[in-house]
Amino acid sequence: MDEKQRFILGAAVIVFVIFMAFSFKSNISPYVTVTHVVESGQLDNVQVNGTIVPGSTKHYPDNNTRFFDLTDGKNKMRVKFTGVLTNYQEGIPAVVIGDYSNGLFIADKVLLKCPSKYESLEENYSSSGLEAKV
Amino acid sequence: MIDPGEILIWISLFLSIVSSVLLVLNLTGRKNLDTVAELAIYGYTLALTISFFLLLRYFVIRDFNVEYVFEYSDSNLSPIYTISAVWAGREGSLLMWAMFMGLFNSVIVATAKRDSVTKLSLVILSLLILFFSAIMLTEYSNPFIRMDFTPIEGYGLNPLLRTPEMAIHPPTIFVGYAGLAIPFAFAVAGLIYREEWVKRARKYLIFSWMFLSFGILLGAWWAYKTLGWGGYWAWDPVENASLLPWFTASALIHGAIVEERRKSFKNLNYFMALITFDLIILAAFITRSGIISSVHAFGENPIGYAYLGLIAASTIFALLAWILRMDHAGEIEFKWKSREALILINILILSLSTLLVLAGTITPMFNEEITLNREYYDSIEIPMGTALVVLLGLCAALNWVADSERFKKNGVVALVAGLAVGIAVFGLTRLGVASLGAGIFVFALLLQSMGLKLKDLSNRRKFGGYLVHIGIILVFIGTMGSWIYDTTYTNVGLKVGDRINLDPTHEVEFTDLRAFEDPEKYTIIATINLYENGEYQGTLQPKEYWYKLDRQDRVVHSVEIISQLDRDLYVAMGGTTGHFEGAFFEIHIVPLVSYVWIGSILMIIGGIYALIPRIRSKN
Repeated sequence: MDEKQRFILGAAVIVFVIFMAFSFKSNISPYVTVTHVVESGQLDNVQVNGTIVPGSTKHYPDNNTRFFDLTDGKNKMRVKFTGVLTNYQEGIPAVVIGDYSNGLFIADKVLLKCPSKYESLEENYSSSGLEAKV
Repeated sequence: MIDPGEILIWISLFLSIVSSVLLVLNLTGRKNLDTVAELAIYGYTLALTISFFLLLRYFVIRDFNVEYVFEYSDSNLSPIYTISAVWAGREGSLLMWAMFMGLFNSVIVATAKRDSVTKLSLVILSLLILFFSAIMLTEYSNPFIRMDFTPIEGYGLNPLLRTPEMAIHPPTIFVGYAGLAIPFAFAVAGLIYREEWVKRARKYLIFSWMFLSFGILLGAWWAYKTLGWGGYWAWDPVENASLLPWFTASALIHGAIVEERRKSFKNLNYFMALITFDLIILAAFITRSGIISSVHAFGENPIGYAYLGLIAASTIFALLAWILRMDHAGEIEFKWKSREALILINILILSLSTLLVLAGTITPMFNEEITLNREYYDSIEIPMGTALVVLLGLCAALNWVADSERFKKNGVVALVAGLAVGIAVFGLTRLGVASLGAGIFVFALLLQSMGLKLKDLSNRRKFGGYLVHIGIILVFIGTMGSWIYDTTYTNVGLKVGDRINLDPTHEVEFTDLRAFEDPEKYTIIATINLYENGEYQGTLQPKEYWYKLDRQDRVVHSVEIISQLDRDLYVAMGGTTGHFEGAFFEIHIVPLVSYVWIGSILMIIGGIYALIPRIRSKN
């Protein structure tokens, strides 16, 4: 490779890495805790990690809507979700994505943690709209 | 009591040490040890194969005393899935992977010429067997651990894995993974002895690439028809883990062509072989270390970190060899107006894609606080894929001796035709990116086929390459269409007898809902008629299964699809209402997705076609 070729290829890689960094930055979403959400009072488009509180579920089968409490051990918040939730169970970890206001979290998506393909690979969620990633 | 299967793994461990030590002694001047070393290689292959079939036997006779059998099967599991359950978990799939590696090594012993390069390669490959056997003898990955008691029933196989695709997806992937260690071993051995390795590695490389491609296709196809979200690729860490070595192996195949013909790209190929190997071991780490579940519980399997150790060791070893043999290593030489330049750009695109996907895959693994949206991948991979497909069209049109006159003539024809088709498709469908895709498709396809002559049919390598490339163009079309123009209707609640409009052109009619029971599960079947522009398209029966298992994930929803070349109508069941008078569905209209499958199959056929002469000439 001569100087010029090195320069052109090097420049292409640098431009790519800059694009990549920008794309990375704009598409990253942090997980937040239930406590953080509750203390903020109002939050839009966040993903929250927690565990479904046993005995807290209210299910309305006619429009497929569920209310349940999600906890991080310190605080809990009420979550509302409409849609299919395969293998829903209380007491299991879940990630909810949506908006919080007036004490209610309206979830667009719920990801449930459940056993998967590999025992060790338990990021096998089933989620809103039947979605399950393996 | 120690199980005979475990003893066999100890034997394999021992024989892998014997073979590598004897081969090293042989290479350093002590003669007549290679026959014993070769027998040791056959020996560990046999030991691994027998232990694999022993594990299979435990599944078939339902020996729930074996912990692994207990965890992955139950008495009601059908015979086919009882067999596939052998590789459904970490332990069994590791054994299968090791067995495939042993079989590859035995093939090398049986067919390759007995020179220093082959022997040193076999040392490296036998050390890998040593590594895998050692991992299997730890309590975390030992498939033969017996419990103190015998449960009367097994925990059961994950219902999602009870599909034909998931039965054959893991073996296919593991053949690919096992085989891609060979180019790495040949590269290091070849460099140390200053001999060429690319030609020796070629058939293993293409063979493994083909299996890896097929494995990825099966995984995607399974996701599409099982998971019910209307897609087949989620940029999930486990999917990415198999895509990364596919990128670099594809790059290596291209670089190898240049090295074979022009003796250029030597360094590039050397490092591409190394990176491919590292990425395969990284895939093992990602899927086996338990790190992906880190959001909830970190480091469930500490032995997983041994894979990172292996990556470090191989990389350091390969770098040392490279530094020692600087004199033999070669610069990348190319002229801008040549096919090598296009191949180099292709390798660059594949490498940058590897970088992108790698960064996206590992960052969330080591930083539990974040996740990445799929737009991160899509926003860069879609333009990169487009560039790759344009390049691919150009590349085939250029001959090795650049015939610029002919290139210009064909180029203009292809460009005009491509533009015309693009505009026509846009006029008909108003789908911008899809029209662009169709235009590029015609452009690339024409350039490809204008370079093709009838006599190339007998040049299997060349024609196989054409098939692979046309397949890639089709996959591109399908991916663009289905990713960008998928229409989704979630939580569609219907009562039996309802007929509703989803949108002005599509109607669904819910005609029947019933349930029945078999020894394995309860099944709820919904019957749906679909109409497009008032015309009947077909009847679908999506189902909900309740497996009689003591597992949290015992409920599975099935998907039914009406597939046509221009679009799929896709209905997933999503549960029933409280009193069983209605049900919920998720309905997708997915344009052009068939081309993903057709294109993938074409790629695999192309790979097979390219391999045929080599296999024949051996006999």
